[in-house]
Amino acid sequence: MAQDPAATLKRLLWRTLARADAVCNRLYGWRYNPLYHSGALVVALFLVLLVTGIYLLFFYRLGAPYDSVAHLTAQPSLGRWIRGLHRYASDAAVIAVALHALRLFAQGRSWGPRALAWVTGVLLFGAVLVCGWTGFVMVWDVQAQVLAQEGARLLDVVPIFSEPISRAFVGERPMPGAFFFLNLFAHIALPIGLGLIVWLHVSRVARPKLLPPRGLLWGSSIALLALSIVWPVTMGPPADLFRLPGPAPYDVFYAFWLPLTRALPVGAAWAAIVAVTLLLLLVPLWTRPRAAHRPLPSVVDEQLCSGCEQCFLDCPYDAITMTPRPAATAAAGRSALVARVDPALCVSCGICAGSCAPMGVGPPGRTGRDQLGAARAFAAARTLASSDVVVIACDRGAAALAHAGASSGVHVWPVSCAGNLHTSVIELFLRAGTGGVLVASCPPRDCWNREGPQWLEQRVYHDREAELQERVDRRRVRIVAAAAAEAEVLLTAIARFRQDIAALAAVPGERDVTDLIRLCEAEEAMR
Amino acid sequence: MTRRVLGILLLAVAGVSLAILSEAPYAATPPNRALIRLSWRAYSEQVQACRRLTPEELERLPIHMRQEEVCERTILPYRLLVSIDGTAVTNILVRSGGAREDRPLYVFHELPVAPGPHRLTIRFEREGEGETRDAAEPIPEREARETPPRLALDEVVVLGDRAVIVVTYDEEQRRLHVLAGREAGS
Repeated sequence: MAQDPAATLKRLLWRTLARADAVCNRLYGWRYNPLYHSGALVVALFLVLLVTGIYLLFFYRLGAPYDSVAHLTAQPSLGRWIRGLHRYASDAAVIAVALHALRLFAQGRSWGPRALAWVTGVLLFGAVLVCGWTGFVMVWDVQAQVLAQEGARLLDVVPIFSEPISRAFVGERPMPGAFFFLNLFAHIALPIGLGLIVWLHVSRVARPKLLPPRGLLWGSSIALLALSIVWPVTMGPPADLFRLPGPAPYDVFYAFWLPLTRALPVGAAWAAIVAVTLLLLLVPLWTRPRAAHRPLPSVVDEQLCSGCEQCFLDCPYDAITMTPRPAATAAAGRSALVARVDPALCVSCGICAGSCAPMGVGPPGRTGRDQLGAARAFAAARTLASSDVVVIACDRGAAALAHAGASSGVHVWPVSCAGNLHTSVIELFLRAGTGGVLVASCPPRDCWNREGPQWLEQRVYHDREAELQERVDRRRVRIVAAAAAEAEVLLTAIARFRQDIAALAAVPGERDVTDLIRLCEAEEAMR
Repeated sequence: MTRRVLGILLLAVAGVSLAILSEAPYAATPPNRALIRLSWRAYSEQVQACRRLTPEELERLPIHMRQEEVCERTILPYRLLVSIDGTAVTNILVRSGGAREDRPLYVFHELPVAPGPHRLTIRFEREGEGETRDAAEPIPEREARETPPRLALDEVVVLGDRAVIVVTYDEEQRRLHVLAGREAGS
C-alpha cells in the first residue's frame, strides 16, 4: 500500500526535530530550549530589530546610502556592533520562523481551527522576506543592486505599472533619493503592518505566549551581540549599474531565491513563486486527515455540567463558552450556566476532559469517565504490586520510550496527552494496588495541546480543579517532563521513582473493585 | 560542567554558521559577460479614428448616450530592430504602456554579449503612418515633443568584462546615444 507522502514527510521531520529537541534539552534544559520557543523568539528578535533599527535610522542618509552604511560599518565599536546585531537578528528570525513552521507541520498542527494561524504565518513569513529585501536594498551595495534589479524584473510583468520599474536601475540618471525614501518607508511601515497579522496569527489561542522566558530573551540577544562583535558584518562593493555584478557576499536567508529566479525566464520564475506560495498556503488542506480519521471535537454532557467554568478557563483554544442552561436540562439546584463547545474552534485536544470534576466534557471516547473505564480494564488485566509503578505516558512524547524500557514492575499506560488525564485515574491506579504513578508528559513548552503539562501539574499539586484528592499520598505520584527522544531522562526517572517507592512503607492495595469504581458505577446506575 | 561547555560550543557553532551563511560568496553573473541595455521613453503619434454609428447600433444605446459619431484614440507603436555584428537579435513591436495603452512607449531591453568590440545597429521606427486618415490634427507643440518617427544608431561599441552600456534617447538632441559608466557619472 502506498504511503501518504505528507505523512511520511511529517514523520521524518518529527524524528529529526525530536532528536534535536533531546540534544537541546540536555544542554540547555527544556525551559530554555530555543527550539521550543521558536515562535516567541521571532517576536523577541523583532524587538531587537526595532531597537537597533531606530539607532541605525539616525545614521542613514538617503542621499548617500552606501557611504552612510559604510561609515557605520567602519566604526570600531558601537555602530558596527549595532549594525551586526540588526543583521544577525534578522537572519536568526528567518531560522526561527522556519523552525516554528516545521515543528507545527510535523506535529500536524496546521489544519482545522489552526488553519488561520498557518495561513497568517505564511503571510508573516512573506512579509518578513519582503521587509528584509527592503533592508538589504537600503545598503546599496552589489547585493542590493542584484536584489533591486531582480525584484524589478519580476514586478515588471505585473500589469499595474505603466513604466517598467527596471528603467529605474539602468544608470541613465543617478539613483534618486526618492527611491531610497520609498524603500526606507516600506522597511519601517511593513513591520508596523505585521502587528495586525500577528494579532490574527494568535487570535485563536487563549493566553498566547508572545515572548520567550527572560533568560532566553536576553541570552539570545547577548549571543547575537557577541557574534556581531566577534564576527562583524561586512559590505560588498558599492552598486554600479554600469557593471554586471561580480562575486560579492550575499545573505543566504534573504537572497536564497536569487540563483533560482535569475536562472529562469520571468514567467517561469513567477510560476515557481506562485506554486511554492500556494503549496505553503494550502498546507491546511493537504495535511488534513481524512474525515474518518479526524478527531472529534469535545462534547458537553449538560446533565453533568455543574457550570463551574473550569473547562472554559482551561481551554487553550477559547473553544468553550458558558451559556445560559437550556430549559430542557434546567432543574432546581442546577447551575444557571452550562459549558458549550464551538466545534469550529475545538482542536480535540481533550484538555477539558482533565479539567472537569464531574467528568461531563471531553472528546468522545476520551472523557474522564472513558479514561476511568479504560484504566479500570488496564488494572484488572494485570497484577499491580506495591513495588510496581504505572507510567502514564503521553502518546506523542515518551510513551514509546516507556514501552521500550518497560521492565517487570513497570506498567505503561499511554494517553493522548498528559494534560487530558483526569486525576481520578491516578487515584484509581493507586487504589488498585500499584506503589506509585509516574506521569510522563511532554516538556511544557512542547505540549501539542499548549497547556497540558501546566494544568496537570496544577491539578496534582496546586488544587486546580479537578484536583487530585487530598487523600492521595503525593509521595506516590510524580510528574516528569520527557521529550519524544529523551529515553535516558524517562528511564532514569522511572528507576529513581521505583527506588523512592521501595523506600516508602508498603501500602496495601485493593485488588478487587475500588471504592472509586463502585462510586462511578453507582452514579451511572442512578442516571 | 561538561554540559555547559558543550552548550556554549553548540551555540558558537550555530553563531558561526549564521555568520557564514549571512555573507556567502556568490557571483550573480559569471565572468566573460557584458551587456547592452536599451532603455528609453518615447512619445508616439496619437491618432483618432472616428466612425458613424449605424441606426441599429444607435437604437441599442440608451437615449442619453446616443452620439452619431464615436472616436477611438490610439497611440501608434514603434518597431525596434537591433542587430549586433550584422546579426539581427531583436525585432519587436513596442506598444504604449498602461492597461489602456494610453501611456508613453517604454523600451527596456537587455542584450547579453561577449566582452570586446561590437557593431551595434538599432532602428526604432514608427508603424502605421499614412493610414491615419482620420487622425486628429496634430498640435505643433505636441508634435515637437513627440519622438521622431525614425531613430537609428549605428556604432561600434567596446565592452570590457562585466561592462554594461546603455543606449538611450536624448530628448534634447532627439537622437539615440550610448552611455557608459563614467559618462553617466555613476
